[in-house]
Parts: sequence; C-alpha cells; structure tokens
Amino acid sequence: MLRFLNLAAIAALIGSAVYAYTIKYQTSYRAEQITKTKIEIKAESDAIAVLRAEWAYMTRPERLQQLADQYLIDFKPLDVKQLIVASALPDKAARTDMIGGKLDALGLGLAATPPVASQASVNATAASASKASPPVTKSQALNEGPVSSPERVLSQEHKKP
Amino acid sequence: MTQNPPDANPKTRRSGKSMREKKFLKHMFSTRLAASAPRMRFAALGFLVLYGAICGRLIYLGFKPDPATSRRAAAQAVSASRPDIVDRKGEVLASDVKVMSVFAEPRRLIDKDEATELLSAVLPDIDSRDLRERLGAKKGFVWVKREVTSHQRDEVFHLGLPGVGLIAENKRVYPNGPIGAHVLGFANIDNAGIAGIEKYIDGQGLADLHNMGFAATPGDLKPIALSLDIRATHALRDELEKGVEHFKAKAGAAAIMDVNTGEIIALASLPDYDPNKPTDALDPNHINRMNVGVYEMGSTFKALTIAMALDSGKLNLNSKLDASGALSFGRFKIHDYHAQNRALTVPEVFTYSSNVATARMAMGQGVEKHKAFLKKLGQLTRMRTELPESAEPIVPKNWGELNTVTIAFGHGLAVAPLQAMMAVGALMNGGYMITPTFLKRSEEEAKGNAEQVIKAETSEAMRYLMRLNAEIGTAKKVDIDGYFVGGKTGTAEKVINGHYSKTRLFTTFMAVAPSDRPKYLFLTIMDEPQGLPETGGYATAAYNSGYVTGQIIQRVGPVLGLAPRFDPPHEPFPLLAKLGYGMANTPAVGGAKH
Repeated sequence: MLRFLNLAAIAALIGSAVYAYTIKYQTSYRAEQITKTKIEIKAESDAIAVLRAEWAYMTRPERLQQLADQYLIDFKPLDVKQLIVASALPDKAARTDMIGGKLDALGLGLAATPPVASQASVNATAASASKASPPVTKSQALNEGPVSSPERVLSQEHKKP
Repeated sequence: MTQNPPDANPKTRRSGKSMREKKFLKHMFSTRLAASAPRMRFAALGFLVLYGAICGRLIYLGFKPDPATSRRAAAQAVSASRPDIVDRKGEVLASDVKVMSVFAEPRRLIDKDEATELLSAVLPDIDSRDLRERLGAKKGFVWVKREVTSHQRDEVFHLGLPGVGLIAENKRVYPNGPIGAHVLGFANIDNAGIAGIEKYIDGQGLADLHNMGFAATPGDLKPIALSLDIRATHALRDELEKGVEHFKAKAGAAAIMDVNTGEIIALASLPDYDPNKPTDALDPNHINRMNVGVYEMGSTFKALTIAMALDSGKLNLNSKLDASGALSFGRFKIHDYHAQNRALTVPEVFTYSSNVATARMAMGQGVEKHKAFLKKLGQLTRMRTELPESAEPIVPKNWGELNTVTIAFGHGLAVAPLQAMMAVGALMNGGYMITPTFLKRSEEEAKGNAEQVIKAETSEAMRYLMRLNAEIGTAKKVDIDGYFVGGKTGTAEKVINGHYSKTRLFTTFMAVAPSDRPKYLFLTIMDEPQGLPETGGYATAAYNSGYVTGQIIQRVGPVLGLAPRFDPPHEPFPLLAKLGYGMANTPAVGGAKH
C-alpha cells in the first residue's frame, strides 16, 4: 500500500513537472508570438503612415492640376453657371403604359392609359415644380418643348433590336 | 506597567523576572517528548509565513508590467513622434514617416580607419575626414548619417561592422509642399516644432511630455484638424501666384476667413517656401505677410470709420457729408482720388472712396472715440492666434487729430492684414468680434465668448455698402455672378524715405460672399503691383488685388460648396428695410466709373 502511494506520488511529481514545463514552453512560445505580432503591427502601421503620406503626396492639388492640364485638354473648370438648384429640376415624368399606347396606335383598343392624358399629367407636374421654385429661366426652358420623358425615349430605344 | 504594589521590593521583583526567563529557556531546550508538538507547529508556522511571502511576491511581480519592455517603448517614443496634421476635410498635411539613421559607438569600433573607409564608400555624401574625426571621439554614441535611403540602409547593414548600427527615427513630411506652409510651419531634424502650428503643438504639452520621458506612441496622438481646406488653399495660392506674376508685384498674400467662426479656410503668402526644406523658411522675404507683416491698409479702413460713424447714431445712410474740394489740415491737404466736389451721401462716400468725407466722419467722432473704437476692434494691440509668429501694429505715439484724419482712410496705422480681416469680419457677421483661428471650430464655440462690438443694423448697413460697391462702385471686378459678392478696395502709398510715394503702392482688397448671409471674407494684398497696358497703366487696388480676388472667388466658390444663386435674393437686408432704407433691397443704378 505504501509502495503504491510512493509510486503514485512519483508519477504525480513527474506528471506535474511535465505539465509545468509544457505550460512554461507554451508561455514562452506565446510570448514570442506576441512580440512578433507587435513588431509586425508596428511595421504595418509604419507602412500605413508611409502610404498615407505617399497618397497625400500623389494627390496633392498641385500635381493633380498639372496632370489635368496635361491630359484633360477638352475639360474646362466648372463654371458657376453650370450649377442649378435641385428644386429647379423638372419632376420625374408620370409612368405611361408604352405597350398599351402602341396597341392603341395600332387601333387594337384596350389601352390602359391614353397617351393624351399622360401628357397632360406630365405638364401639370412640371408646372407645379416651376411654381414651387423661384422663376428660373433655365428650369422653364427645361420644362418646355416636347414632353420631357426620358423613360419614353429609353424604352423606344430598347425596343429597336 | 507592572501591576505590583508600589511598596514591593524592587530586588525581589527583578529576581522573580529572571526566574521566569530561566524557566522559559529550560522549557525551550528541554528534550521532553511533550514539548515537540508545539515546536513542530511553530516551525510549520514559520515555513507557512515564508512561503506565503514568496507567493505574495510572485503574484505581485506577475501583475507588475515588465519594466524592460516599457523602457524600450519609451525610448522608441522619445525619438519624437508628432501627431498628424490634417485639414478640415481630413486630408493629410503633415505626417511622420519612419526613416533609418546610421549611428556608431566609437568605443566598440575595432578599426576606425577601416570603418571610415567602408562607411564613406556606402554613404558618398558624407565627408570622410569629418567622419574619421567623429569616430575618433571618446564618446559612446555618434551619428554617422541621419535619414538614409532604404538602399543605403541595406548596404550599411551588409557591411556588418561591429559598433555601427541602424536606428529608426521619425521624419516629418509635408506632402503638399508649399501649400499651407505658412500655417503649418515646420519641424527640425529632431522632430521638434520650430514654427507655425508645429510649434503651437509643442507648446500644448507635447514637448514637456517628451522631455519627462513619458511614452507618447503614435497611436496615442490624435490627428490635429486645422481650419484650412487644402483644395481651397491650393486654388487660392494658384490664382495669387498668377496674379503676382501678371502684375509684377514684389509680393502678395491672400486669405479666406469664415466670418461666423473666425476659421481661416485658406491662406497663402508669396513668395513662400517648402516646409520639407526648412532652411528656405529662414529667408526674411518668405515671411507670412498676412500675420507677420504690418501694413497701412488704405481705403479698406474706411469701412471701419463708416461703421463707427453709423454705429454712433450720429450719421445714417442718408446723411450727407461735404466733399467739395480738398480738406486742408495744417500744412497737409487731403485729396480724393475719385473727386466729386460736392456733398456725398454715406453710400456715395463708400463707393467713391472719398478720403475727405471719411476724414470728416472721423473728426465728427473725435480722437478719443476713434481710438476707443479701433481698440474695441482689436486694431491697436497685437493679435494672437495659434501661430507663434505675430506682429505688433504700428500705432502713432502721439495720436492727434491729424492721425485720426489719416487713419480714417487707412494711412498712419499699420496693422497685420489678418488683423484688419478680423475687424472687417466683425463688421460683416452681425457685429461679433471673433479672433481668427487656424484650428477647426464651430460657430457656437466662436460666438460663445465673442463680444458684440457693433449693432446688427450697422453690420447690415456695412454689408449693404459692400454690396453696393461691387454693383456700382470701385469693386465691380469681384461681382461674380451668383455669389452676391460685396467688396472694398484699398490702395495705400508706401512710405519711401519718410514720404508717401505715388508710384509704389500697396493694394488690398476685401470681399464678402454672399452679402446677405455672410459666410466667407476674402482678402488679397499686393506689394508694389505694376500698372499694365490692359489696366490703362493703373496700379490701384481694383485692377490687381480686386481682379485676383474675383478670380479666387470664382474658382474657390464651388470648392467651398458655396451655392450660387442666379436670382438676386428677395430681401437681402431686412433690418435696413425696417429702418426705412427700402432702396437697399433693390438693385443699384450705376454711378462711379470703376
């Protein structure tokens, strides 16, 4: 009995020693990893700083202007007159039933919305838009003319092929 | 204290005590079996305390940070990291990059001649004799070369010389070169701020922390956001450069200020320098003319005089002032440049820029009131911003009536242009005196402790006058479509050998946009611009500074997000309309020639 206890004690001793050393080596391994990662992080953050500085250097307004002068020959600086306020833009045109209109035109009837009605509604919205904003000549110019329905133009183009 | 009765014999007491001691010792050293158990317990207690102390110490050490690594981190940081400087939109204006420097430890060098030979072969731009001398010194540490290229770094490394090492250092870089240089300042090779905002940052405690050895790692340092907009600054500088070249001026400067917050959005002073080459900054011709130079601002100062007269209530917009003929004052005669020789209303005084009438206005107020008003507007004392460089205004020592007369139209008092900008800003923004800043700031912060120096009505009247001047007066060059700009020219004759020179001029131009809801104040100054054939030979402010300001507004407007309006604002000056000046809200009809 006593011998068994002795053996058990020795085994426990060796076991605990092995365990302790494993922990120790693992710890130093981890510590090494941490140091390595820290160095890597530092190198990366230094590199980021360099890249940021380089980016700022490459995109400095002076250089961009020089490049623009060199390559964007057809471009002109933005003129104040090219800007208009959002409220001066015409409203989006009302949706029209294109296929229905086509069928109507072919005399097949059963059209959902007669084209005349849709045109009237577009004009109405355009008028309300120009009323809401101060009388801008540009916006009026945009609202006049044939019903400004980009949708219609687009869908016709799509139909061609 | 023993409890023995006082009459007890001291001798018997002592013998009793020694008896007890003897008994205790006998017990201690007895070999009786019965005595061993408490002894064991005593020994066990002793060991328990010992191991307990060791455990406690281990736990204490376990929680304590590693002293070696923190010292290393401190050493790294003490090689001066500085916070990044960014503009108001976050663009990098100044940043630290790591560079390698070569150092040597002369005591550890084996063959100094060989080391000198090898090092000067790798680093061709160092003087080998000088290097040999330095390596011969009995020092522990000498620099061989600071800031080497990555190629040189590898070569030095491959030399494998014992006693020669490489160390990473922080180097300050300014990616935008001369753009914003006068505001940024620069840092020296030890990364200490020498001028501008860089020096200001050091003054905020960074330098103290470094000197005390506290670790300030780059991660701890928050970037410092300036009020500058780098794109606007570039556009401004570019236009100014073109203007200075075109009008063959000796120097020029321009700035944009947000009148509601006092933030300087853009600033340029030509000629300038590249902060990456700090030696250029020492040239006295490269000073920041906006902040360090003091100049007689000329007619721009009339705005201050008129504001004073209007604010006192003594005059109103309909008052008429005599401007017929020159004003004699002792042996001096004051003339008008655009002489009308009749009585002028206040708006006419402004648009014709009448010296005579403005002088009369100031005389009507008296010397003391004039002085007090200029003091209130910060024109008589040194203006302090974040920039360490500043200049004291040149104020006449014995301020008499003649001084008041000349200062009324901007001669005889020299101030920093930025200082004049601060005063005109206060006239524009509703009367709040806001010291300009180079750091980002909100309107609440700026107006929180701002003093109201003139009434809101006076401020609006001044904006009306500025606008009127752009519509029909001397400032037509800045009437850029859509921005409802107002402006005032200023031409001062320079003092050459104690006399005002007719040919050497200093021109200034102040513009505000938009006039109804003031946001930005523009100032352009030019030193000795020349008259050109297309300006009819004129070199007065409207032709050069005014023209450049117009160009700047046109170019910077979209960059600053200033929304253009193509219909004149419905009622730009509501307070004036209430006071019965309905004419302020209708477009003006022409009068002046230019």
